[in-house]
Order: sequence, then structure tokens, then C-alpha cells
Amino acid sequence: MSGTMLGRIGAVTLVLFIFAAIFAPVLAPYDPTQRSAEPFAAPSFAHPLGANDVGQDILSELIYASRLSLTVGIVTACLATVLGVTVGLVSGYLRGPVDGVLMRGVDVILSLPFLPLMIVLAAFLGQNTTNLILVIGLLIWARPARLIRSQVLSVRESGHVQAARAMGATHGYTMLRHILPRITPLVAAQFVRTANVSIMLEASLAFLGLGDPFQKSWGAILFYANARSAFLADAWLWWVLPPGLCIAAVVVSFAFLGYALEERVDPRLRSTVPTSESLTGLEAPAPAREEALK
Amino acid sequence: MPRASRIAWRRFAGRAAQYTLIVLVALSLNFAIPRLAPGSPIDYLVPSEQISTITPEQREQILAQFGLEKPLAEQYWSYLTGILQGDLGYSTQQGRPVVDMLLERLPWTLVLVGGAISLALIIGGGAGFLSAARRGGRTEVGGLALFMFLDSMPPFWIGMLLLVVFSGYLKLLPVFGALPLTDEAGSFALTFEVAQRLVLPLLTLVLVRAGWLFLIARSSLASELSEDYIVTAEAKGLSHRQVVLGHGVRNALLPLITAVAVEAGTVVGGATVVETVFSYPGLGRLIYESVLSRDYPVLQGAFLMLAVGVIAANLLADLLYPLIDPRVRTEGTR
Repeated sequence: MSGTMLGRIGAVTLVLFIFAAIFAPVLAPYDPTQRSAEPFAAPSFAHPLGANDVGQDILSELIYASRLSLTVGIVTACLATVLGVTVGLVSGYLRGPVDGVLMRGVDVILSLPFLPLMIVLAAFLGQNTTNLILVIGLLIWARPARLIRSQVLSVRESGHVQAARAMGATHGYTMLRHILPRITPLVAAQFVRTANVSIMLEASLAFLGLGDPFQKSWGAILFYANARSAFLADAWLWWVLPPGLCIAAVVVSFAFLGYALEERVDPRLRSTVPTSESLTGLEAPAPAREEALK
Repeated sequence: MPRASRIAWRRFAGRAAQYTLIVLVALSLNFAIPRLAPGSPIDYLVPSEQISTITPEQREQILAQFGLEKPLAEQYWSYLTGILQGDLGYSTQQGRPVVDMLLERLPWTLVLVGGAISLALIIGGGAGFLSAARRGGRTEVGGLALFMFLDSMPPFWIGMLLLVVFSGYLKLLPVFGALPLTDEAGSFALTFEVAQRLVLPLLTLVLVRAGWLFLIARSSLASELSEDYIVTAEAKGLSHRQVVLGHGVRNALLPLITAVAVEAGTVVGGATVVETVFSYPGLGRLIYESVLSRDYPVLQGAFLMLAVGVIAANLLADLLYPLIDPRVRTEGTR
């Protein structure tokens, strides 16, 4: 099994979930917000995965919940990637004091425990999907920003960039036309990784009861299953197992896709972070993780 | 002063300044969030069920009691000096000082997180080094895929499944809590019960982190083994074992230690949800309880304590590097 193969498996799985999310009203046998069975009903022909504590069809819940997970994952990843690319590009290209200030900011964000901070923010700011996306997006751009910066540092020294500068290209033009295209594979891989992280964070928040109360979510299904101790009865088989498998399947698909993308990255583009930098502590983990999945 | 120690001091001072700044940011966030959130800060200081019955006079009184009518700068100053004296406010639900509630829970989380990090490091790191030392097998990508899948499972879900297997079916381990109510303090039976109740939450966190540490250990050792000095060592006639353990692993440890320190925040996050699943009485469970009861001062205090813990772990790792790898000691000369 090769990396490309993993990438294909990931892509196919994701397409299936996106399909389910788009056609949820057609695919779901019931309205997941309405009572359609006896509470705690065991699986039957009419309800393949049984019903939850208020009699909602669990299969329909699962299908509708894919909408929230994928939306949160993709929208947050867009937000975080745009922020991360902008900061990483400007920081790595301009260097000097701008770089210093931006990277200290990145250090600060990376040193805070994300999930507890998000819990605090969600509890104070109110639980809706927009807040969720903003809160996750504004915290997770820091890691891609640092990775992209180290890549930009090496690309800016290459011949064609120097040549463009010598011929009088402006900073903005050089960054957009000569550096951005060369870091695109890394950006794509980071997009996938961020989507991955945000789906997991959304699930964790929802599991703690801090998700959007008006949206079905895999994490929220598990929140109710946990609150009703479903795992101590046979119900775990249809109430606990499927939502967790859905989360794991989507997250691992993104991870496989990211792995395949990183494997395709042109060898010339591989980060050439100076050793001293990878030894200064806070700089190290990012390249280490990038390396890890190559 | 000798040059080397001057560099070491400058490095230390730089790090100390940076971490002070990070702590200050965490403190300021905690100060700002209730003031930026919708509604009045009072809403977050009164038990939620009393909020609608409060009279305007009582409102004034609460404002004065917490100094909320003063200018922001003055509020910020008294907030900072209060924290330095260990004043984190009072729980709106229990009326007890938040600090006391946090200190009660802290040891449980320290045991859980510390144990999980050490075990994950030994298991995941060990397996990763082993895999790198025997590279090129056909199963390599398969193993990688397995660890990626392990890394993709939500921690709370793993915890629930472990409960199903070990407590539900096998009836080997107790379901909830960390402290049995029946045994006397200090007895052997109690120690045994506590250890027994720690097994599942610990196992969950180790499963969650080991996959990731495996990937880092593997790539770190693999890249060290492709270096020139490895060829030299082999040319000298050292055995493969000596080369890998004495040369490769030693140098490959650094990225692993860094990763552990920086990911301490992620482990703490994982602990938050895992403690919730197992009703384990640590800080994470306290966060969950205070979210449910809308006990905002406790929620903020718990966040602050976790943040300071994670920042301290980062600082510790930062100060350890020069001891592990001499190359770091010369950093800053350029």
C-alpha cells in the first residue's frame, strides 16, 4: 500500500461523506429533530440504528450531523489557511522586526491549551456555529503560519526570486507570483491538516455540551449517549459506536489525503530549516511534525 | 564571565521574558472575556437561577463589591494583584474560594497527565525508534496508516469503548470516579482502588498520544540515520545496535522531548474530555461541571491553572535542551 493509495482511500471516503451531507434530506429516513420511535428503541427494520433517549432516529441524526462536521472543518480550514498563509508569507519574506513580532504572537497562541480556552470562549460568547468557526479558526492558524514561514525562508533565497527582485518586482508581486505558487503544495497539505484538527475540536466541544444546540452533531450525539450512560447497556453498539466511527473516518480521511499531498511535494520544496532553529525549542515541533508525515 | 555561561544566561533571560509575556496574555484573556461577552459582567458572577430576580439595588451592590464600576485600568490592576495573592474569586454555586476548589483537583490531573505523557513516550517513542531502525519493510505504510487511524479517534470515544469492554463486559474495573467511598484513608485497599480507577483514563490518553509520538520518533531517527556521522560510525566497525542506540537515538531524542512539551496543551485538552467520561475528579471534570452549572469564576480559574501548567511545561523543556544536546548551548552566537 503506497501513499497515493492512502490518498485515494481518503478522497473516496470524504466524497461519500460530502454526498451524505448534501443529500441528507433524501437519504435520511426520518426527520432527526422529530420523535419517530419509542425512546431507547433497539434497532429494527424501520430504525436500523435504533432511537435515542427522546425517540429520534439515530441513523437520520448521523446523516444530518455530517453537515455540521464538514462545514465546520472546511470553513474553519479556509479561515485558518488564509490567516496562516498571510502571516507566514509576510513574516518569512520580510524577516526582521515584522517577523519577530509575528512569530512571538504565534508562540503565544501555540503555548495556550486550545480546548480549555475554547470551552471558556464558547461558554461566555454563546453556542452557535458561527462563534464555533470563528473561535476555532482564530486559534489554529498559528501552526500552519510557522510551517509556511520556514518554507518561505528557503524559497525566497532561490534563484528565480532573486532574479525577479533584481529586475525590480515589488514585494507584493514577488510574494504572490513567485513565492506563493512554490508553497502551494504545503498550503494544501496544511489546509487538510487544519480541517482535521477543527473537526476533532468541534466534536470535543459538542461532547462537553458546548456545541450549537440547534444543530445535530456527532459529538452531541455522544454527549447525550454519555449523559444517559448508554455504554453500559447494549445501546452502545448502535448509539456510541457509529458516531465515533464517523468522526474517526472523516478525520483519518483528511489525514490520508494530507499525507498523500505531502508526499507529492516537490523535493526542492522540502523545508530546509536550519538545524539551529529546530533546536531552539519552540521552533522545532512544527518541522518535526511536518517531517513525521512525509 | 566565561563566554559560554554568558550565552546561557542571555538565553535564560530571553526565555523568561517570553514566557512571562505568554502568562500575561493568558491572564489578560481571562480578564477580557467576561467584559467582552454579551450582557453585563454581573451575569457571570451571580448563580444563573437568581439572575432574573435581582433588584437594581442588589445590582449596584454587586458592582461595588467586585469593583466593576471603577475604570478598566484600575480593575485590571486589582485583578492582577489579586491573582498574585492567590485570589481567583468565589464559586457562584458553592460560595467557596475558587483557589481551594482548584487545588483539590490539581493532584488528580497531575497524576493522570504526567503518567499518560511518560507512558506514551516510552511506548510510542520506543515503537517509533524500532520501526525506523528496521526500515523498508513492506508493512511500513500499513503500520503508518494504523497509527494515523489511532491518532484520528476522538479521545472521549476511545474512553467510552474501553468502559464498554472492561467495565461493561469483562467487569474487571470500576466505572466511575477515582476515590472509593468505602475504604479508610491511607489503607492499602484504598491505594489499590485508586490505582485501579486510574487504569482506564490513563490507558485512553496513552492510546491517543502514542500514535503521534510514534510518527515523530520514527521520522526523527530515520533522518538521523541518514546522516554522515552514522556512516562514519559504521565504517569504524561498530555494530548496528551500537550505531542506532549510541549515535542515532541519542540525537533523535530532542525532537521527541520538544514535541511532548509543546503538545502538553493537547494532552491537557484530551484529559479534559477523558476525565468527563470517567467522572475522574481532576481539573477537566471541574471545567465540565462548571460549564453545566454556568459557574464562570471556577471555569476561568481552571483554564488559568491549566494554561500556566502548560506554559511551565514548555519553559521546562526549553531549559532542558542544552543538557540533552550540546549543540543548543552555542545558540545565539550567530
